This record gives sequence, C-alpha cells and structure tokens, in this order.
Amino acid sequence: MTKVPADQPGGLACVRARVLIESYVDGDLAATDPDLASRMKLHLAGCEDCRRQHEQAVSLPFRLKALRAPVPPASLLGNVMNAVRPARVESRRAWTLLIPEAALVAFIVWYLSGLEGLASVASGTVSDLQVLLNWGVGAAQPPSIPVADVFLLAALIALAITAAYHLSILSRMGAPSLRERRRA
Amino acid sequence: MSETVQPSGSTRWRWVIAIAGLAIIGVLLALADIALNAPWLGPMSDVVVGPPVAVSPLKERLPGSDRFERTRSVQTFTFISPFRPRGPISPLQGLRALLSNGAALIFIALAVLVVFPNQARTAVQRLEGSGGPVIAIAAGVATALLVIAALLLLRFTLIFLVLVPVLAAVVVAIALFGIACVALALGRLMQTRLRFGAAHPLVAALAGALLVFDLALIPYAGIVALAVVTIAGLGIVTLTRFGSASGWSFRDLNW
Repeated sequence: MTKVPADQPGGLACVRARVLIESYVDGDLAATDPDLASRMKLHLAGCEDCRRQHEQAVSLPFRLKALRAPVPPASLLGNVMNAVRPARVESRRAWTLLIPEAALVAFIVWYLSGLEGLASVASGTVSDLQVLLNWGVGAAQPPSIPVADVFLLAALIALAITAAYHLSILSRMGAPSLRERRRA
Repeated sequence: MSETVQPSGSTRWRWVIAIAGLAIIGVLLALADIALNAPWLGPMSDVVVGPPVAVSPLKERLPGSDRFERTRSVQTFTFISPFRPRGPISPLQGLRALLSNGAALIFIALAVLVVFPNQARTAVQRLEGSGGPVIAIAAGVATALLVIAALLLLRFTLIFLVLVPVLAAVVVAIALFGIACVALALGRLMQTRLRFGAAHPLVAALAGALLVFDLALIPYAGIVALAVVTIAGLGIVTLTRFGSASGWSFRDLNW
C-alpha cells in the first residue's frame, strides 16, 4: 500500500498524476477507477503545473501528434492497384476468356449439322421426357436413349469443364476480398 | 427496417413522375410492337404484348361467347396500323401488356427482393463494382453454355434424363433472381445519375423493373435487350453464388 502524501492536492503526487494524465483524458481512468479519477480531478484543480500538462494533453494538435500511424495491411498495395486498374482491361480479359468456349460451340453446332441439328436434339429431349413420364405412370415403354457419339460427348464435357473453369476465373475478377466482404 | 429513408416531398414526386413516365412509355412501346407486328420477333411479339388485332373475326369466336364479349370499349379507340395493316388495333392492348406481363415482372422482382434482401444486396454491389456489368454478361454467357452442355449430356442417359426439367427450372429461378437484381441496380443507377434523391429500395426496384419491361418492348431490339438483361442476371447470380456473402470459397472443404 503506497502512502498518500497529505500535502498534495487530491492526495496525489505530481509524478503519479502526470503518469495518469493520458488515461484520465481518454476516460479510461474514470471507467476503471472512479475514485482515483475524482482524486485526479481534485489534484488538477489545485496544482498549476499538472493543470498545464492536462490542458496540453487535451489540445487537439497534441493528441493528433500522439496518435500512432496504423500499420497498413499487406493487401493494401494490391487493393489500390485493383481499384485504379482500368475497367476496360478487365472487360476485355473477360471476353477473351470465352474464346475456347466459342470454338467448342462452333464445333458442336457444326458436328450436329447446324442449328437444326441442335434443335432436333432439344425436341428429342422433350419427347423423351414425355415418354418417360408416361412410362412412370405405366402408360408406355421406357424411352430409347439415343447412342451418343464419343466426339460429341467429349466436346460437351470439354465445354462444361472450360465454362466452369472460366466462371471460377470470372468470379475472382473485380470481386472484393473476403475481409472486405466481412467488413461490409 | 432500420435503413428506411424518409424521402422529401419533391423527391417523392420525382419518383412518381418517373414511374408513371416509364409505365406510359411501356404502353406506347407495346402498342408500337403490336402495330409493327414485328416478324423478326416472331411469336415472341404475341407472347409479350398479346394478339395484334383488337377484334377477333366473328368466325373465330366460340359459339355462345357473345355474352362474355367486353370489347366495346376496346373497339371505341381502334386504329389501323400504318406499317402492317392486319386489323383494328386498340391502345388498350398496350395497357393490357403492361397489366399482364409487366405487372408479373414487377411483382416477381419485388417479391425476390423482399424474400432475399441480403443476397440481392451482395449481387447488386458486385454488379455496381468496377467492370461489373461486362463481367456479369461474360459470366452469364459462360453459365448459359455450361447449362446447355449439361442439358445435352443429361439427355444421353436414361436415369439422369429426369433431371433435365429440374435443371431447367433452377436456371429459370436463377434468371428471375438475376433480373430482379438487375432491376434494382438500374433503379439505383437512375437514383444516382438522375439525382432522384433518397427513396425506398423497392421504389427504385419498381422503376428498374419498369425500365427492364420497356427495354424488352423496343420493337426489333427488345428481344436482344431482354436476352442481355437475362444473361447479365444469370451471370451475376452465378458469380456471387446466389448472392452469398462468402462467394465461391472452398475454405470449408480444406480442413
């Protein structure tokens, strides 16, 4: 237990009061130790030197000077560069990504003898679904599934994989980071 | 709703005038579509704006249907199209297009935003980001191609053939959600660009949905505009994984 000097205002020594000034100004002292905060108030009322220190501490320029610069996040540079990067570059990149898909679609359409062939596949799917529905209620035989060409199947799988891969790239383009999303 | 804004009197009137103006433009565009009877649109024209002729010939009417005929008011204001005269056309047909297809589009868009507000916000924020619309359209094209490839692959199997209508229904639902997000983004764009001031988000979405409806009714180009909006909507919903806050992340699988 420290001895309280009786001749000092508020029962606080100047040395101790000056240590406590920062937390008193911030309001931390009143929150953690209200009794000490009230003694500090009494001390400041009675001690001119400490009062001058207190006035300096509450002045805005002094407090701004006392603030420490925050440490920038590691992703700052990357985020700034992403923000200032022209949108046109990303737009062009988004379209050039789809060139392989365009080539695969052209091949599939050509392989199916044009758009008519594609339309016949679509109409065949609808009619097969109707037959399947009728089969489900016992009104028809199960539909006969057409034998698929290996090249066509390979092209369709390649198209699906390429489109999915490019979607994963597109989903990262212009997307805010996970931290930004959480903050939002 | 904590973020509800209180629009001032002039702001409210601006929005009312804009929405009424968009509705009138929609009626006029529907009428133009009917009058042109655009052959390039084909059956789409009839689907969106209804039959081109106001009064059906007597021989096409069902027997005994005269009791239900309420076409007198329609027949009062008819005119003959100067472009492709096929029969009398009434301005009320344009209004019918707005009250049927337009109203359905608006109700679906608003319902989606009411039910999924957080998801819609994430998707719209992404759409409003740098290069958002172009990336969304590119992603929409990739998604459409992926779906077509998947549908064609499913067609060649007996077991998975039943998944074709399921996949088609999911794609339609995603496209509708996307169109609602695009409508909200267009409404917010009007809000900022035309300086309409603060308004309830559903008011902005209503204006945006009307704008989408008007775009779809532009003669000849409407179908292209609607396709672009749908593709962009499909893309933005895919990019944001149905507007989820975490997006496409495989972090949960990497434990």
